Amino acid sequence: MRKAAMRKAAKIGTWFTFAFVLSMVLVSRSSAQTNTTPDLAVIVNPKNAVDSLSLNDLVKIYRGERQYWKGNLPIVLLFRPPGSYERMIALRVIFQMTESQYKQYWVSKIMRAEATAPPTELFSGGMTKEGVMAIPGAIGCISATDLRPGMKVLHIDGHLPGEANYPLH
Amino acid sequence: MKTSRRISTVFILVAATAVARAQTTEPNQSDVVKALLMRIDKLEQRVAELEASKTTASAGAPAQHHEPQEAQIPSTEGRQSMAAQIHEHDEHPQGGAVAENHFPSLQIRGFGDVDFAATDERGSHSGFNMGQVVLHLASPLSKKVAYFGEVSFTAQPTAYAVDVERSIIRYDHNDYFKLSFGRYHTPINYWNTAFHHGLWLQTTISRPEMIRFGGRFQPVHFFGMLAEGNIPSGSLGLGYEVGLGNGRAGVISRAGDFGDVNNNRAWVARLFARPTGLQGFQFGGAIYRDKISPTPALPGDPTFGEWISSAQLVWAKETPEFISEFANVHHRNNLTGHISDSQAFYAQLAYRLPWQQKKWKPYSRFEYTHIPVTEPLFSLADFRVQDLVGPTVGVRYDITDFAAFKLEYRHTKRGPKDPEVNGVFVQTSFTF
Repeated sequence: MRKAAMRKAAKIGTWFTFAFVLSMVLVSRSSAQTNTTPDLAVIVNPKNAVDSLSLNDLVKIYRGERQYWKGNLPIVLLFRPPGSYERMIALRVIFQMTESQYKQYWVSKIMRAEATAPPTELFSGGMTKEGVMAIPGAIGCISATDLRPGMKVLHIDGHLPGEANYPLH
Repeated sequence: MKTSRRISTVFILVAATAVARAQTTEPNQSDVVKALLMRIDKLEQRVAELEASKTTASAGAPAQHHEPQEAQIPSTEGRQSMAAQIHEHDEHPQGGAVAENHFPSLQIRGFGDVDFAATDERGSHSGFNMGQVVLHLASPLSKKVAYFGEVSFTAQPTAYAVDVERSIIRYDHNDYFKLSFGRYHTPINYWNTAFHHGLWLQTTISRPEMIRFGGRFQPVHFFGMLAEGNIPSGSLGLGYEVGLGNGRAGVISRAGDFGDVNNNRAWVARLFARPTGLQGFQFGGAIYRDKISPTPALPGDPTFGEWISSAQLVWAKETPEFISEFANVHHRNNLTGHISDSQAFYAQLAYRLPWQQKKWKPYSRFEYTHIPVTEPLFSLADFRVQDLVGPTVGVRYDITDFAAFKLEYRHTKRGPKDPEVNGVFVQTSFTF
């Protein structure tokens, strides 16, 4: 009687352990899928003579501290709206700010007469591509998985998306 | 029977785990937005793939999938053909149309505050008061020309006073040279040009005494022209501002908006550094030169030569935030040759606490102003600037991204014979 009870308890324990392990595997696989993070590619108009930037230069550009390309062409900043992958990466790596700090940063910058508007927010990678193609001084960030032939991708700190030591991911 | 019960137990456990996980990540509005944005991206990716395969098929070649790595080093010809292809397929390039600037495009932002004050100063009344309502205007007029304005509405005993705080038109040549004309906040002081009249932008309720609105220690406003820009200096991030203007009016707390009172231009020069590797860090210094012709005129109608030198050290990140400034005002009575130097400084420390979504930010500031009793201008009744030793402590609570509550205690001691004053101040400030 006692042995049977112990055997039953052992079986229940085995099933419980199996279920626990299975659920953990499912959860971890699900998390791993959501944590897939492609690099962030920086694109400019094909007519732009610039081929590479340092990460510091990119920071200066996106923070509005550098507003002109060489040749005095005004830089037009294109950005993605809150909730997008590209914005999340850019806020973390380029701006080093939270969403709130980013909003307040641009309110403050415009108030100081250092800029007339925050970066233009475009709702998709496709619109960003179109914006960059249409505006000579535009610069935008898109997921590396959205890159297509004909787009001019900048080297950042000497690296392209997908290469080791590429800083935007 | 037993086996099926066990299997169902296992499924219940797995399901419960999944449900529990689902509950912890219940979609809110931002998740829905994220999902929609991802959906748009996937659809666009699919459209691009279909268009690419259609193009290659029509050219008689088998469809190819373009790997991103291949796309990064396109040939010039390939780039041009792709650009043409994009234009061919996108008859309405929405991204370009949305991102393209339109001129003029006026943007208005407002700032406001409501205050409560109570002090133990004899004769003072505690109570609520309406702070300033400020409208800030920004409008690009072309790719390289922009207008900035700031208008304030301040409650007075009988009406609201309307004041043009700033009105600037700026021509940008490049990052190294921008030339503007109009009415500015004098770039002799960091606080004056970082926060302007947007009380929501500043951590504390009050401005430092050395640059308070309506104050006389330093000229708050400057009317004239200003050249500014970056100085090529690599990661040091040097910048400059050089201005030429009318200087102080006869009433020395005012700028000479309607003309120079003494036909002698004032000038200001500021040099600062914002090192690239230390975001939020800034240090610099400025000098200001003017000739003051005070109104009402003094016996003998003297004028005063004024030299102001200042230094700033700023760490604008909020963990911690540190702002400190020093200024020396040198006056010379041009009639008697009598000279005097007055000093003021403040140091402010604040820290954004990591708890409760980082909404709390306690702060503290110490201010000091010293005016010699023999100061030829600041010691006179109509132009008086008083000594000050004043610590301030307070806390800021950000209700939202664009509104804050602030609670502040101030202790001030003026001259040796003046009583010490304690005060509690409350403010809600916001931008809209």
